Formats: sequence, C-alpha cells, structure tokens
Amino acid sequence: MTDISCRDPNLVMRLARLGSMHQSRLSFMRILTRRMARENWRFEQTAFEIDAAGVGHAVYTAHGPARSYSLIAYAHDLPPEKRSDRVIAEAWDATFTLFDGVPTAEDIERLSKNIPVQEAGRVTGSELSVSRANRSVRLWEHVVSELAEGHQPSVEKIDAVGYLMRTTAVYGSGKLGAADREMIADRPEFQAPFQVEMLSVYLTRWFVTDLVQYMADTRAQSNGAQAARLAPDIARMMGIGNSTGLGMAPFLLNHPVLFNNWMAARERAIQAVRSVQRASDSEIALFHELITRSKVTVDTWKSEHPIQIEKLSALTKDVTQVTTWLDSNDLKGDHPWDALYRWAEETLSLEGQEWIASLVLEPYGPLIDAFAEGMAADNTATFRIAGAMKVGDLRSALTDIYSWALDTDWAAPENKARAWYVSEEKLEPRLGERFEEPIEEYEQPLAPGRDAAALFQALAHWPDDTQVADFLLRHPEHRHTLRRAQIVGRAPYAEIRDNTISDRVLPIDMLRCKLSFFGATKFDPRSDRWVRICMYGNAPLPYELTSENADYWVFPDTPEAAA
Amino acid sequence: MSHSLNEIEAMSKRAARGSGMSWGLAEEAAKGTRWLSAFGFSGSELLADFLEMNDRIPPIDVSPVSLVAEIWHAPAHRMSPLIAGAALSDCAQRLLSRGTITMENVNFPLLAVPFMGGAALRLGVPVSAEWQGARLATDGQRLCVQATDEALQARVADRVVFSAPAEMTGRHEPVMRADVPDDAWARLGVFAHRTYAPATEESRLRGAGAGLTDND
Repeated sequence: MTDISCRDPNLVMRLARLGSMHQSRLSFMRILTRRMARENWRFEQTAFEIDAAGVGHAVYTAHGPARSYSLIAYAHDLPPEKRSDRVIAEAWDATFTLFDGVPTAEDIERLSKNIPVQEAGRVTGSELSVSRANRSVRLWEHVVSELAEGHQPSVEKIDAVGYLMRTTAVYGSGKLGAADREMIADRPEFQAPFQVEMLSVYLTRWFVTDLVQYMADTRAQSNGAQAARLAPDIARMMGIGNSTGLGMAPFLLNHPVLFNNWMAARERAIQAVRSVQRASDSEIALFHELITRSKVTVDTWKSEHPIQIEKLSALTKDVTQVTTWLDSNDLKGDHPWDALYRWAEETLSLEGQEWIASLVLEPYGPLIDAFAEGMAADNTATFRIAGAMKVGDLRSALTDIYSWALDTDWAAPENKARAWYVSEEKLEPRLGERFEEPIEEYEQPLAPGRDAAALFQALAHWPDDTQVADFLLRHPEHRHTLRRAQIVGRAPYAEIRDNTISDRVLPIDMLRCKLSFFGATKFDPRSDRWVRICMYGNAPLPYELTSENADYWVFPDTPEAAA
Repeated sequence: MSHSLNEIEAMSKRAARGSGMSWGLAEEAAKGTRWLSAFGFSGSELLADFLEMNDRIPPIDVSPVSLVAEIWHAPAHRMSPLIAGAALSDCAQRLLSRGTITMENVNFPLLAVPFMGGAALRLGVPVSAEWQGARLATDGQRLCVQATDEALQARVADRVVFSAPAEMTGRHEPVMRADVPDDAWARLGVFAHRTYAPATEESRLRGAGAGLTDND
C-alpha cells in the first residue's frame, strides 16, 4: 500500500508550473454555479432603460435563499479612440456594480454619478463590487450587423474571440469605498473566495447578450426590418473576456495565506484522487468523456504570443500522448489516477501535467468539493509575529523554504534586473528595469527570495537561542520578510519559490495561476505582463442554470455530441 | 467621508512607508490603524499626526533600548508607539510571565493599543494598557475603554503600563465602516505619495507591458 502525499511545495510553487495551471472543479466560477443551481437561485431582469445610441442602465437581480443581489449596468457610447484596456483608461463601453439587495431609484441615480467614472467615483457599503468592460471591436460589430440583417453570427468568428465584452477590472473587498469582505464573509454564498466578483461577471454576461440583441433590434428597426434572435447555443458559446495586466501579479505575493489556501485545497484534492484505490466504471467513463470535450478547448485555444504558441504546441502533443496512454491503460487497476499522474509527471510538459492534475479531479465531486470550504483566509491569526521563536529555528526554516534563494547570487545583475513599483498614475503597479530606470527607491516588497537571502545573511552572527523579538528590535528592515517566513512555515504553499525580479521573470505566470483559480480558460498573453482570458464560456445563462448543467459546462460539447 | 477598512489599511501602509518606516513596520501601522478605526477611533488622524511628528526619524532613536529592561525607554526619550507596540506584540510571552511591561515617554499611546489585541490573541488572555488615568483592555475581539478624550488623544504619555492577564469590563464590538475626515486622508496621502514613482512615457509603455493593441 503506497501512502500518497501532497506534492512538494518546492516542486509546485515554481513560476513555470504556476504559469501552466488550468481551471478545475475547485475554480471559483464553478463553485458559484454549483451553489446557485443547488439552491435554486432565481434571476430576473428588472430594468433595461437604454436608448437607441446604447446609452442608459439595466438591472439584473439574483435571488438566493436568504438574500438578493443586483447587477446595475451602465451602458455608454464610447468614442473608439477612448477605448483602452489599461488601468489608466478613463472611459469604458459599460460600467457595473454589484449591489447588496435590490436598488431603489435613488440608489441607481446616486451610482450613475459614480460607477461610470470608476476610480474617480465613490461607492458605499451597499455596493459589493465595481467593474467595467469594453467591447471586442472585432466581434461586437459582426454580431450586431449579422443579427440586424436577420442572420446568425459566424461561429468561427465567435470561436476566434470568445466574448463580446471583456472586463478590464473587477474591484471588490472595499475598493473605492465598497463593502469590506469582512462585512459579507459570514454569508454562506460568499464563503469561498471571489464569489462576489464571479457573480458580478456571470450577470454581466447576461446583460451583454441582452445589449447586443437590443442594438441589433434597434438597427434593424431603423432599416425597417426585423433582427434575428441570437440562437441560444451561440449565445452560450460566448463568455466574458478579461484583460489583465500587472495589477493582479502582486496579489499572490501580498496575500500569502489566501494563496496557500487555494493551492493547498487543489493539492489536497489531487492527493485524495491519487489515493483512490479503484475507479468505478462510471468514473472512468466520465473522465474519458471530459478528456474528449477538453480537447475541443485545447483545439480552439488560440494565441499570437510566441511563449503561449510554444506551450500550446507542447500541450497538443501531450493530449495525443495521453490519448495513446489511455488506449493501453483502462484505469481499472490499482490506484489508477496515481499511475496516470506519475506517468504524466515523467512524460508531459508542465502544461500537460497540470491539465491532467486538474482533470483527474472531475469524477470526484463528493470526495473533493468540500476542500473549497477551506479556500478563504482570515489573516488576523497569521499576521502576528511569534517573537519567542529562536533564531536557530528561523535559520532552519529559511534554509528549507528558500534554499533556491540562498543558492542564488544576488549580486549578479541578471538575478535582480527588475523592480516592482507603483506608478503615481492611478496607482498602477509596474515592473521596471532596476539598472536603467530611476525606480529602485520606490521598490515594493515583492522579491521574497532576495529578501529572505538578505535576512539569512543578517542572522549569520546571531546565536541560535536568541529570540527573534530581540533581532527585530535591531533590524526592523527585516520585519516583513521574517513575518513571511513564519507564515510559510505554517502554510507551505504560501510562497512562490522562484525569482520574481530576474531578467527572465514572466509576470504572466502569476496572472495565469490566479486566473486559473477563477476558472478562466484560453489564456492569451499579449506580452510577458498582460493576458486575456475567457470567463464563463459555454456556461448556461442564468435563466438556463440547472443542476444538470451547473458543473461541467466548462467542457464544450464535442461536435458529434452536439450533432 | 465614509471609508472601507481595507482602504484605511492600504492608505496607512503606504503613508507609513512614505514616512520612512520599513515595510514590516508599515504593515503593523496599517493593521493598527484599521483596528482603531474599526472601534470607532480616528485612527487615520492619529497616524497622520504621528507620521508628521516622526517624519524620517531613524527608528533606532525611538525604539526601546532593551526588551529585558525593567522599564522600556528610547534613546531619544520619545518612544514610537508603533515600534514599541510591535515589540510588545513580539514579546507577548514575556508580558505574560512578567505580568506588566512599562514604557516611558510614549508618543500617541493610543496607537500602541492595537498591538495589545495581537498579544491578547496570541496569549488567549485579555491585555490592558493604562496611562493618565485611562484604561483600555482587549481580548483581541472586543475592547473596553475607560478614558477621557484628552488621554485618548494625548501626544505623549509619561508612562504606559501594559498588563496581562487583564480584566474585561464593558465591551465595544468592532464596526465595519469608518468616517475619515478629508483633512486626515489628505495628510496621509502626502506621505503615501512619496512611495509612487513619477509617471514617465517610458514606464507607461514598458513598465505595464501593454505591447499589442488593446482596442480590438
């Protein structure tokens, strides 16, 4: 009997692997759709006051068992030259807030002065999120004009883009004056992370399909014609895009306990499934089906970025190898998922390994879905430094967690070529060249490896039995890093065990990791620090949601199944 | 204006860093300001006052000379409530075994109180602070206050005595929103601004890395 343990953090927490992660059963979108279906949430559009130019507002309300939440959407007529996905943009095609309850006319009026200007506005504890979206110029006009002329839009064109609008920021947790997470964390529907944001995007997608239909109807009417109704199958194909830049990258470093809890939940789930001794016929059948459906996602996943092109070509090869392996392995033996995983780890690229690691979880909802309950974090308990810890114990913790960093030559320019800083322009996080730009004095504490190595060096001449409280009194400059080391000592997946400031660092690896937990698919890097994704592609629209389609929607139907 | 506690924490961290504190101490200042705000105190104002008083002062001058001394005092005879408070939290076990820790010449003593909350949570027993006839006690979750406004807003206390275990009497529950006067917010903003790199065309293009067109 083999005892299968969780994967070693030193293996898992490397940037290249984190940057190859895929969505899973524990992704936040899927946690939300499962819950809403299980609890029979009801959805309604309660306002759609938009004029022929596409300007106005709409309200969509989701009714849960105890509370209701409303997406208030403001639609704007944006001149093309103002459309930008950058944080520094000041106008958008549409802006949104998720309201706690059902808004009154006064709420809608108050928010109409604040939500459209986003960061320049203020909201209150009644608002749970603030977000905005821009149209995909490529797809929007195509869909409006085809429908207006009485045709369905081209499925190929939809596949090529995946969404009609992409969000460029979804702010929650107290940003701009909104409700703090602590105000709502005790509600079961928001217990898992990012459920407010995921609900907001889910309702946004409904609004966008309504808006595109409305714009097509309006155009057809002005031509004395009638527009076609967007076919439900086609509407479902379209998700909501998201365009994410560097702002998201520091998140994983700034929330180590939360990050640990996400990673640990997935790693425990992988461990639990690898520990399954025998797979039932129905579990094996479901796995085969989802492998086939997952291939559709891989086949339609396009990117123009050289890094992702290479990764996709490796993944395509991996998919073929997995298919061949499954032809000769019926998964009916002892510990079948462990055998598959071990083979994958030896054979496949990191993309393929993480693809399999996520996929083997699929047949095991009852075994692993409860791990989602541990994914949130309350930082209060872990923030305080244990000052009675001995220097000797700290030294050995550093040696264990940061061995890669202690072996790195931090004097070599290439190992610290970059620096993270915040620009005064809308407080945008940026990554600069330490030796070429005047940014070092503004550096943010986002290089834990380098800082841990510095702490290790500063401790060198302190006796083992000194308490760290006494060291910190003399060295407040190491307080941040020492706290971190203590956190990672208790939460082994809290730290990215890799160099976040080298000349080779790819911030998109951090973005991808976070977005995979959201449940995003079709990662499409636009540069080494900017990525587009698709959310809720293939998902049932709110009014279509049932227990039957709430879980596996992320896997597209195969062409044969659809036919 | 009404602010979320997360906003207060984020602003306080940047402001404390902008005043010259290490990141680790800036984090403590931020958590502390948030904690005070959650109990209805004007944490942001106190922090702004304190940062203006100690702007870019070397930490060693306003830190306790020794953590084992009978009475904690700072070389410059003015103790930073944030540094001393952080040290108190680090010394939670020692506080319990000693029963009391006394500090001299502490600026803005109320800013040191949140660290008792940390110590109380670690120890599992309430911790109290007393100065100028004021007495505050906390178990980390709730706060008991018996004090005049004058003591709460004192810019310096000759002597502050922290005790554990302490007794809880009359409890305040935390609230979830805080009103921050615009003036205090603006004063913190001046410090925070020092941590932002000036925007340049180069950083706009390279630093954010939006290489391809984003309007398609």
